[in-house]
Amino acid sequence: MSRSIAFVCGLLAVSAASTTALAATPQSLFNDNCSACHQTTGKGVKGAFPALAGDPFVQGDAAPLTATVLSGRAGMPAFKDDINDADLSAILTYIRTSWGNKGKPVTAADVAAARAKLKASKKPASLQAH
Amino acid sequence: MGDQSTVVSGGVLTRRRFFEGLAAFGGVSLAMAGMDALGFGFASAQAAPPKLEGDAKGTKVVVLGAGLAGMTAAYELTKAGYSVQVIEARSFAGGRCQTARKGFQHTDLVGNSQTCEFDEGLYINHGPWRIPYHHRSTLHYTKLFGVQLESFVNDNDAAYVYFEKGDGPLAGKPIRKGEIAADARGYAAELIAKAASKGQLDAPLTPEDRDLFVAYMINEGRLSPTDLAYTGTEGRGFEVHPGAGVDPGPGKPSKPYSLTDVLHSKAWRVLSSVAGYEQQRTMLQPIGGMDQIAKGFEKHVGSMIRYSCVVEKIKQSDKGVKVTYRDKFGEQDVIEADYCVCTIPLSVLKNVDADFSKPFKAAMSGVSYAPVNKIGLQMKTRFWEENHFIYGGHIYNDMPGIGTITLPSTGWQGQKGVLLGYYAFGGEAAKISAKSPADRAAFAVAAGQKIFPEYAENFENAFSFSWHLAEFNLGGWAEWGEEGRKNAYPVLTEPDGRVYLAGEHLTYLGGWQAGAIESAWQQIGKIHARVIKA
Repeated sequence: MSRSIAFVCGLLAVSAASTTALAATPQSLFNDNCSACHQTTGKGVKGAFPALAGDPFVQGDAAPLTATVLSGRAGMPAFKDDINDADLSAILTYIRTSWGNKGKPVTAADVAAARAKLKASKKPASLQAH
Repeated sequence: MGDQSTVVSGGVLTRRRFFEGLAAFGGVSLAMAGMDALGFGFASAQAAPPKLEGDAKGTKVVVLGAGLAGMTAAYELTKAGYSVQVIEARSFAGGRCQTARKGFQHTDLVGNSQTCEFDEGLYINHGPWRIPYHHRSTLHYTKLFGVQLESFVNDNDAAYVYFEKGDGPLAGKPIRKGEIAADARGYAAELIAKAASKGQLDAPLTPEDRDLFVAYMINEGRLSPTDLAYTGTEGRGFEVHPGAGVDPGPGKPSKPYSLTDVLHSKAWRVLSSVAGYEQQRTMLQPIGGMDQIAKGFEKHVGSMIRYSCVVEKIKQSDKGVKVTYRDKFGEQDVIEADYCVCTIPLSVLKNVDADFSKPFKAAMSGVSYAPVNKIGLQMKTRFWEENHFIYGGHIYNDMPGIGTITLPSTGWQGQKGVLLGYYAFGGEAAKISAKSPADRAAFAVAAGQKIFPEYAENFENAFSFSWHLAEFNLGGWAEWGEEGRKNAYPVLTEPDGRVYLAGEHLTYLGGWQAGAIESAWQQIGKIHARVIKA
């Protein structure tokens, strides 16, 4: 009896894990990685973190936007080592098309090309800093 | 060049006179460069503030920011006869040099409000927390101000490493660092020693060198000198510790893990021939918290600081600098000076109305700032010491958002302790910072529970800090990419008119207190040279 309970629990754990993996949507990726500063509303924090909603830079040419997220700029951190191309393209597309924004989608291939151009390949995190 | 005679004054050219001569006509940096060129190994650490000799002519300097850069500038300039005022946004001095203890309050930009509830005597350094022995600039002031230091345990063979992304039986299992070090290096040395002794190494070794090389490998891997095998070593610990009499007597040796298990665990990521330059022993920390350094400065320059004053405008002319700020009552005020030392992080400065030149403003965009998180967890017993015999040091791991878990290097064998539950930076830190303080604590406790079974049941309260969400920092430290370092950085190390930037962001010691201090030293040296010449 106890063995079969353990077996059932194991199955549940596996299915729970796969559900979480499947549940990553562009919105959840944005909320996870970006909302601490830019907020789930995309409105940012005045005087600190720029609003993405309604921002011309976010909706315009995808190249400088992608470069900014990969390499950082003007205080914004670099995300090249933290987010893969597929997830990053989903996030970029999300911010370009949400909150009334009307930008064009970005593909994983676009992000890969931007990485190559910027020499911003993904590196493993270091164990120590300051 | 006319001053060259000073170099040989008295007819004897001593080494000291030579360097003083260099300093006299080329400034401190040239003297330092000279020392480096002669192999004195100054590296990046300068040992002492510049000598600001000559008449300061009543020159007024306004310093923006009472962090270590700002207070260093204020302290040294005042000593040299300058008239200094410091504008500080916070109600206390120190900048990032902060310590959270009972009653410490912090409200972040998105409205998370926390008051630290640690027991009396316990603290967490949520900003800088360690001082490498070669940061002589920081150590110059700890000595000068009588800030007492103690050892910071930055490497501990008994501490666990925990890598869950490896595979094999050691993945996701806490293993002591000494075990992994002994086994990984032992097996590697065995393989190399055996190959070398048979002449199979593709290396130009003479027979004599080959023997020495094998001897070194035996020493390095603690191998059997007869068959060059690694079969474990006492340094990795015992199954039964040696002791008195015949039982336990000699004890029972521990068995090494297999080479393949060690390789697949990925725990060897913690091993390198020598610690990185910034992580070497001896590592130090002030007794009682890092903010003892801030307080040491404050004793000398506190009277010059206007607290709770937020800079709103920086305007300059040929004659001077005008800084507009808002005080804690919401009143606007203006301060005028001949020069300005601005230590405001670039992430914050970019939002200040300043009439910097176009190239200077453009250069300010060439930097990014790291999201950085720390959390202190108060534990009701020091189970890591009592049950696991770990006194300080880091639990290296590969859990996303955790970075390192670090055990306190102070208060050993006390009743309670505050440990560092995570120290993470980059995108992982941004993620975790979106959680509420209570959820951050829950996240940290769940991670620690995977390593110590006593973790959750001992947890009492937490204090977390996210530097990118701190209004007057907007990031833990500046990060220069290759491009920014090449094109933007050199522009910002030079003054824009009468404004000189200083701080860790303008050094190759980014994120370190030594960077803040040495940057201030360099910039006030430049101001002084200009004042003397004028």
